[in-house]
Amino acid sequence: MDQDRVVRVWALITEHAQREGASASLRHVCVVCARAVAATGSGLSITRGRGRHDPVATSDAASAELAELQFTLGEGPSADALDGAGPVLAADLSAAASRRRWPVFAPAATKRGVLAMFSFPLELGAVRVGVLDLYRDRTGPLSGAQLADALVFADAALLLVLDDRGGIPAAYADLVDGGFDEWRAEVHQAAGMLSVQLGVEVEEALVRLRAYAFTQDRRLAAVARDVIERRVRFDGGRAGKLPEGGNEPDGEEN
Amino acid sequence: MSASADRVRDAFVVLTDTLVADFDVLDFLELLANRCVEVLGVRAAGLLLADHRGRLNLVAASTEQARLLELFELQNQEGPGLDCYHSGRPVHATDLAAAADRWPRFAAAAGAAGFGSVHALPMRLREEVIGGLNLFCGNGSTLETDVVELGQALADLATVGILHERAVRDRDLVLAQLQAALNSRVLLDQAKGVLAEYTGGSVGEAHARLRDHAARTGRSIGDLAAAVVRGSADLAEVVRGAD
Repeated sequence: MDQDRVVRVWALITEHAQREGASASLRHVCVVCARAVAATGSGLSITRGRGRHDPVATSDAASAELAELQFTLGEGPSADALDGAGPVLAADLSAAASRRRWPVFAPAATKRGVLAMFSFPLELGAVRVGVLDLYRDRTGPLSGAQLADALVFADAALLLVLDDRGGIPAAYADLVDGGFDEWRAEVHQAAGMLSVQLGVEVEEALVRLRAYAFTQDRRLAAVARDVIERRVRFDGGRAGKLPEGGNEPDGEEN
Repeated sequence: MSASADRVRDAFVVLTDTLVADFDVLDFLELLANRCVEVLGVRAAGLLLADHRGRLNLVAASTEQARLLELFELQNQEGPGLDCYHSGRPVHATDLAAAADRWPRFAAAAGAAGFGSVHALPMRLREEVIGGLNLFCGNGSTLETDVVELGQALADLATVGILHERAVRDRDLVLAQLQAALNSRVLLDQAKGVLAEYTGGSVGEAHARLRDHAARTGRSIGDLAAAVVRGSADLAEVVRGAD
């Protein structure tokens, strides 16, 4: 548990992206995370509206197949993590406990050689945008360090999803929020306030808050404080206004 | 100390009752922070919980005055709470005015908020430190050794409350409980924002309204916060009750 971990994880993601001459994407998170925690593969699923989610990125073809399987069955660690269970750590999918919990998925996964699976929700309070899944072809738990790494990778994926929806370049979370602003209480409070001002869910409010901070080139926490102290409003009210043009989320990726 | 023995006993009875009854982690931690103030005779108490990012997050405090919140936030850079977390040992800053070299920003901010001393007590699980209990005293007052020991017992009780007895034996469950506690706090902050915007009041006031309404209706504050943020709570009802 140290702040160096966050810096190191972001560096791994951006280095990998740069080698491909691209900006950091969810696929990069998948590939690098699988490598960092010694997983066989990994996948990311993103929610689209209530109760639905689609696999959007995977580290390799086998992981894509497994993501598809879970999606089809609607059962498994991933579905549970998306359902509000927090991180779901299944160190042995062939064990009786796993088969009881996921009677269809567990045998199907082990048949494909997946013996352990770890699912981390991309969540922040009421905001839940997807899930990061890690697969292994052997049983056994993640080490403490691997667990902590996986949680930080899930954070990175969460920010990439939010900023993609806000039309913000992928490097923002890394470069601008080095001070860990996104996890401050004021940011959550401001998102709650904006959700009422804008008549949107708190997730959309958080997307807009980040987009606003980015276009104004200001720290997220400073903007959040302005919202809480009512120096900035997002609904065209007495103070402040939405940034002009191009930054309105369109609600769809790709 | 002996004069308050009844209060101490009462506090532990209430807290352990909460632990075995229908349990909400935020309700429990807020209760514990408030009991710290009553039983230990401190001005303010707050519980910091470390996350996987290496941040110390305030999960519950006896009051949510902005100045106190800032003191907790500041401890991500410096302060007795951070030192306590890193060392795993209690840090007693009995004279903050004289600690300006060690924690220049924290000492100044604490002084401006009217605090003269701080006791930071670790929340430990075996060799791992999961966070800490910070006790703030007014100018010219510090805690006696026996009171500090009692504070440590309350910090240990907070650890048990967060991790549950079952989880203490299983590292995966420890992680799940920590994540759950941290995420409930985020949800509460989002709910405070929703209600503050609805009423036009401050987030601190919104917190008090949520706490009152939860207590009055026998609902956990975590449940209520989730309903408020997800739009399934009647905000007019939450607000009306507080008047």
